[in-house]
Amino acid sequence: MGIRILLHIMVVVILSPLLLGITGKTKAFLVGRWGPPLLQPYYDIGKLFRKGNVYSTTTTWIFQAAPVVSMAAVLVSAIFVPFGSLKAPLPFFGDIILFAYLYGLARFFMIIAALDTGSSFEGMGASREAAFSCLAEVVLFLDFIILALLSKSLVLSEMVEGNILSSWQLFGPAILLAGVSYFLVLLAENARIPVDDPATHLELTMVHEVMVLDHSGWDLAYILYGSAIKLFVLGALFVNILVPFHGLPPVMQTIVFWAGMIVLAVGLGIVESCMARLRLNQVPQLLIGAFVFALVGLLVVLIKGV
Amino acid sequence: MWLDLALILIVCLGVVILGSSRLGTMIQLFAAQSLVLSATPLLVHPGKHAVVMTMGTLILKVFLMPNLLSWAIRHVSIRREVQPLVGYGKTLMLGGFLMGVAFWISFRLELPVRETSNLLVPCAFSVVMVGFLLLVSRFKAITQVIGYLVMENGIFLFALLLLEKTPLLVEMGILLDIFVGVLIMGIVVNHINQEFGSASTVNLTNLRD
Repeated sequence: MGIRILLHIMVVVILSPLLLGITGKTKAFLVGRWGPPLLQPYYDIGKLFRKGNVYSTTTTWIFQAAPVVSMAAVLVSAIFVPFGSLKAPLPFFGDIILFAYLYGLARFFMIIAALDTGSSFEGMGASREAAFSCLAEVVLFLDFIILALLSKSLVLSEMVEGNILSSWQLFGPAILLAGVSYFLVLLAENARIPVDDPATHLELTMVHEVMVLDHSGWDLAYILYGSAIKLFVLGALFVNILVPFHGLPPVMQTIVFWAGMIVLAVGLGIVESCMARLRLNQVPQLLIGAFVFALVGLLVVLIKGV
Repeated sequence: MWLDLALILIVCLGVVILGSSRLGTMIQLFAAQSLVLSATPLLVHPGKHAVVMTMGTLILKVFLMPNLLSWAIRHVSIRREVQPLVGYGKTLMLGGFLMGVAFWISFRLELPVRETSNLLVPCAFSVVMVGFLLLVSRFKAITQVIGYLVMENGIFLFALLLLEKTPLLVEMGILLDIFVGVLIMGIVVNHINQEFGSASTVNLTNLRD
């Protein structure tokens, strides 16, 4: 058990920045540039780990604890999601609640750390983050309800593994709707482009990035690593929902899963290249749209009878 | 399976129409919705009757009406609904609520005919509700026309239940009526615009001598 957990966490820690690298390469390729090397996110994080921290005198221990707590929370959340033939090492009844609220915990610490700096910009970012995640969480839980109804289970790994293949034949459209709304949540949770631009540092328009303006050195490295891991874990769940590969032999499962992850990273790059960031007041509209999609999916599942 | 997919696509396109603010996009989305709609008669009851229905819908709702509406917005040069009565986010949320109501109603409804898919009636109701919502929550005459057309798409879906029992002449008559209605609305929008300098229907509630 201990070894399997360790293996799971090793996979996440080693491979998660690569996903960002692939996305970055795709974006560069689509605008006709060569772009940074695939391993650039590793270099960035490595560089930050070699630097020292600078703390403002107005901050307290909360500011220093937040990056560690949020990174730890997303790492723990990884052990509930199966990666191909690597099964989830620690499944238990109702772990979806823990999974969802580990992200809640990470976000809570980031928000209070942002407020701790006393900067008005960061307070603004914190308020936006809190408002958007309120909407995203509802959609996430609606999707979980759909999956739970289909699989008759409240264990995350069983929900995506169990009988999702037979569900696809009967409830294909409903799962597709859940997938679309989950993808919108994924974009919002990871602060990707239609919701937030991870590349800009223009304070007035930012949501997530503005909250980490005061972090430096090790702390910033934890935050960047944490967001890479978050993208990896939520992306892995997305691949698990949309690609029903669980009946295949283990080797094929591994191949299909990792191919799915690469397609997801490339897809993210394509979405980010062909869309502009939405105006701030349109983001709630996007998330409410995701909510309505998930709701239609749920209604379809209910009316079709499980 | 394909019918379910088409029905859900129609509902989702309705939701997207509800959330979009550009009139051009709304018209294109309506055309897309009608395109999916035109395939449904073939999926429900394949036959000569269905082919005629499909062709009629395709010609009128996918080509003629969207073109007519695009012509109208070009003519009065309005691009977007600037100030809806209810905000876009709230309209979407209301739309979700009304869809829940539609599904609940159709769950309780007992129909004399046997339905081909148990999603047909709920989806028809949902589209009607979305059309209604669009109709009451926007000011611009063009948006209201689109709302009316979306509502009619829902009624069309509902009528699929009785596809074999209704004579073709009635169906064609309905389609022709809608077309004439849209044609007249196009002209009316033009007149509203000439008279008041904007295409908002709010102006129509004022009394003047």
